[in-house]
Amino acid sequence: MKTRLSRRFVLRGAGGVAVGLPLLELMLDTKAFAQNTPTPPRRYLVFFDGQSLGGDNDPRHNDLVPNTVGRNYDLKSALQPLGELKNEVSVISGLRIPWAAENGGAIPAGGRRDGFHVSTVSPLLAGVRSSASTAAAMGPTSDQVVAGFLAGSTAFPSLAYRVQADWYLSVSAPYGREFISYRQESSGRITPVPAQVSPRQAFNALFGNFTPPGVDAATRARIDFEKRSRKSILDVVRGDTERLVPRLGAADRIRLQRHLDAFRDLERRVDAIAPPETSACVKPMDPGADPSIGSPQGNDGTNNTYAQNLGYSNEEQRALLFVDLIHMAMVCDLTRVATLQMTMFQSHLNMYPLTGQATDLHELGHNGVPGGTMAVSRGIAWHVKHFARLVQKFRDTREGNGTMLDSSALVYLFEGGHGYDPEGVKQNSSHSTENMACLLAGRAGGLSPGQHVVAAGRHPANVVISAMKAVGAPTERLGEVSGAIPQLFSST
Amino acid sequence: MRLRHLCWVLPLLACTGVIEGRPALSVSEAEAVGVSGLRRLTRVELDATLKDLVGEPQPLARTLLPPDPTDPFDNDYRLQLASTTLVDSLEELSRQAAERTVADPARRAQVLPCLPTGAQDATCFRLFVRTFGRSALRRPLVDDEVERFMPLHALGVEAGSFDVALTLALRAFFQHPEFVYRVELGRVTSQPDVVALTGFQRATRLSYLLVGSTPPEWLLDAAAGGSLDTRDGAKAAAWRLLEDVRARNQLERFHALWLGYHRLPHATALTTAMQAESDALVDRVVFDRSADYFTLFTATDTFIDATLAQHYGLTAPAGGAAGWTSYGGAPRKGLLSHGSVLSQGVKFADSSPTQRGIFIRNRLFCQEIPPPPPGVNVDEEPTAPSPCKKNRYQAHASVGGCKACHDTIDPIGFGLERFDRQGRYRTTDDGLPQCAIDGEGDVDGTRFSGPAGLADALIASGQFEACITTQVFRYAAGRREDERDRAFIDRLSKQFIAGDRRFLELLVDLVSDDAFAFRRDEEAL
Repeated sequence: MKTRLSRRFVLRGAGGVAVGLPLLELMLDTKAFAQNTPTPPRRYLVFFDGQSLGGDNDPRHNDLVPNTVGRNYDLKSALQPLGELKNEVSVISGLRIPWAAENGGAIPAGGRRDGFHVSTVSPLLAGVRSSASTAAAMGPTSDQVVAGFLAGSTAFPSLAYRVQADWYLSVSAPYGREFISYRQESSGRITPVPAQVSPRQAFNALFGNFTPPGVDAATRARIDFEKRSRKSILDVVRGDTERLVPRLGAADRIRLQRHLDAFRDLERRVDAIAPPETSACVKPMDPGADPSIGSPQGNDGTNNTYAQNLGYSNEEQRALLFVDLIHMAMVCDLTRVATLQMTMFQSHLNMYPLTGQATDLHELGHNGVPGGTMAVSRGIAWHVKHFARLVQKFRDTREGNGTMLDSSALVYLFEGGHGYDPEGVKQNSSHSTENMACLLAGRAGGLSPGQHVVAAGRHPANVVISAMKAVGAPTERLGEVSGAIPQLFSST
Repeated sequence: MRLRHLCWVLPLLACTGVIEGRPALSVSEAEAVGVSGLRRLTRVELDATLKDLVGEPQPLARTLLPPDPTDPFDNDYRLQLASTTLVDSLEELSRQAAERTVADPARRAQVLPCLPTGAQDATCFRLFVRTFGRSALRRPLVDDEVERFMPLHALGVEAGSFDVALTLALRAFFQHPEFVYRVELGRVTSQPDVVALTGFQRATRLSYLLVGSTPPEWLLDAAAGGSLDTRDGAKAAAWRLLEDVRARNQLERFHALWLGYHRLPHATALTTAMQAESDALVDRVVFDRSADYFTLFTATDTFIDATLAQHYGLTAPAGGAAGWTSYGGAPRKGLLSHGSVLSQGVKFADSSPTQRGIFIRNRLFCQEIPPPPPGVNVDEEPTAPSPCKKNRYQAHASVGGCKACHDTIDPIGFGLERFDRQGRYRTTDDGLPQCAIDGEGDVDGTRFSGPAGLADALIASGQFEACITTQVFRYAAGRREDERDRAFIDRLSKQFIAGDRRFLELLVDLVSDDAFAFRRDEEAL
């Protein structure tokens, strides 16, 4: 038996609590949840911020990239929330996603069409060019690629959470701007992985079957009976679903198969035993009811049109909860891979409750309030604050001789950069993929955080590939983009 | 029986008969059969279904399930995407709904067809699975299917409780694929990929379209008895469903989704009052008066309370409570003058003539507006030397590549500019008293003024009936139309006009049409 945590459990069981067969089962099954093992599992996370780095017509491309290169870099306003955590976070600047007009009109490998909105979805997240005018990745995204080799027998091969709870425009729909994770189905088709937006539901799924330590035999028997009941119910439903699939037409077969795949995933998780509580792995506080979903943008009849619950569903609270859940899910080894989409592509989240700016995040880049790039940076700083909190939680979690950061690669991506807009033929535009930047935290695989690395002309996917390599990816490739950035692994 | 069925569903075929027991369709008839795929019950449909089946009063689906993609209707099955999130929440929903049902003696009695003698009573359990299964899966269960539930009975025996088995069976039903999805396997026809719907599947289509919920027992009985296999039978069932009070809620909801006011960006009291105003007019025109549907857009009185009267600057109805009041000399008429509709096409700061224009083109003319051409930054705030809105927009839209498209959009919005983002009347730009609003608009060469004028222009365009029919089709089919559906929609539209535009007649024509009795498998996603 490899797991040390089970020893703890044996002691607890031997301490007088009547324990029957279920404990034996549990001890055998906990291999799936090995934690505090000599080598902790590697963890991978993609954090997404749906905005560009600068404001339209402002010659300053960002207030994020440090002036100094290397270690102990200076903190610009967008990164202020990092504080001393900058020693755990690398800034990678000088990145770009190529576009069609600079390639004779043909979209280059890993590139985008000239129009900005949603054209970065595919190259940024999957490293694949896309000519589609709709938001869709044309290949599996890095989180799904990583889950393929990292998940092992964890309960959740990957988690997909989103903080921005709604699209917030009443006359349209997000049309794919709400996805940052795409997987390849067995048929080869690339399908979005819809994110969970309810912290309440996420909590239930992750920690619902945690057994409080030291429960009496009757409670344990009840929990066991409920588990067998769920399995029997799911067995009936899965059986009938499996009988139905082959009787359907081609498209419906794919639809129901998707449902069936998710269903089998649920069955597998019911079968798995919740990890026992340890000093680090504890069931988080119940998050309570979700904050209510705010109305679409508009006017509430008061003098300040932004102050009320319009275009806002308490994303502040949602971000805190999702960060807590992801952290604990990884501590307990319920999962090793997660995506956290803070805001949608072209986000219409009301920024007033978050930064005091009377505009939505998207208009911030288009001078929705005065201040240009400096105003945009306040929107970024809100995202960075939550990224910093995640990094801090990882750093504050002891594991073996170090911290959780030692086994992690946490990558922060932006929708765009700032500079030339080939569609509008303009300089200093927020509709640009010049001067892009990424953040990267964690020390997995020899990553050496805390540096400002100028990776002039490289693709943001090169940073993603570096993070993938850090957690053990067998190739240095994502879609059409290849190569890690060696400086990120260099301790000098 | 088979031939009789064939005669009504295939009038074009002139009853040429059956080939090897299968309804025979010619290639051209089959070509006109529209596609249809698995439709997952929406959250609202699921809540209504749980209410009808087990008396669940709480909106569990709306609380627990991920939101339905809405564009503008919430039931487009092509936008639905199964996920771990969905399946997990369905499990939680099924647990809560089942436990709450069995814990309530009245609700428990509603679902149990027998009095169990004890945990061991397998006969009563089987009878429950059979009877409840027919309601929940909307078709009869065969013996094998009933037997597959018996492991759940065994768990009840182990626990010494019939109610445990009952709860587990309910949980299984609420996660069952044929409960969660509307499965229309149908019966094979002479044409590959085209199936004829069974009576139960037609009952399901009728019920979810007309009352937004699962077929009631009488309708399932009608399906079992074959009476839905005739056009008259289907019509009679449709009319009976439309007498149900839930049909009113359903059609109010259709209009709210179509015209975007199922959610409004206002304080709760104002939102509620605006929705009540529009619901009341829909009820009156469609149900109470069974009037010419155009009355919905030309009505000269409206249902408001004192708050809304003050908001609009109208006379409050006598007595303080909400009631009907005449617009009198106010420049308003029909649904387009309601705050609910005038709240559409708004950005944070103000109404947007462009966004309103796109909204009118999309929803009322059924026209898709192409996205801006390359080289246009649509996010740039319109600016001009004059601070007045119209000058700013005109400067913006006069730029080379923008003009042609904006000329078909913005003038519609400008015709509504005398009504602000909350439907209040104004004569100058917000905060700019020097900027008078003329409120003059133009749609396809027809000049108009205000929402009342727009309604007249819409009616005079000769295209409105076709768009109304198209929107109803989309809601009924759970998808956008394609070339195959054109003939069906044209036929409905002609009947709508010929029947003096009675909206309920349109619905009954739709559900009793041959096209509604068949489906074609989709080849691929």
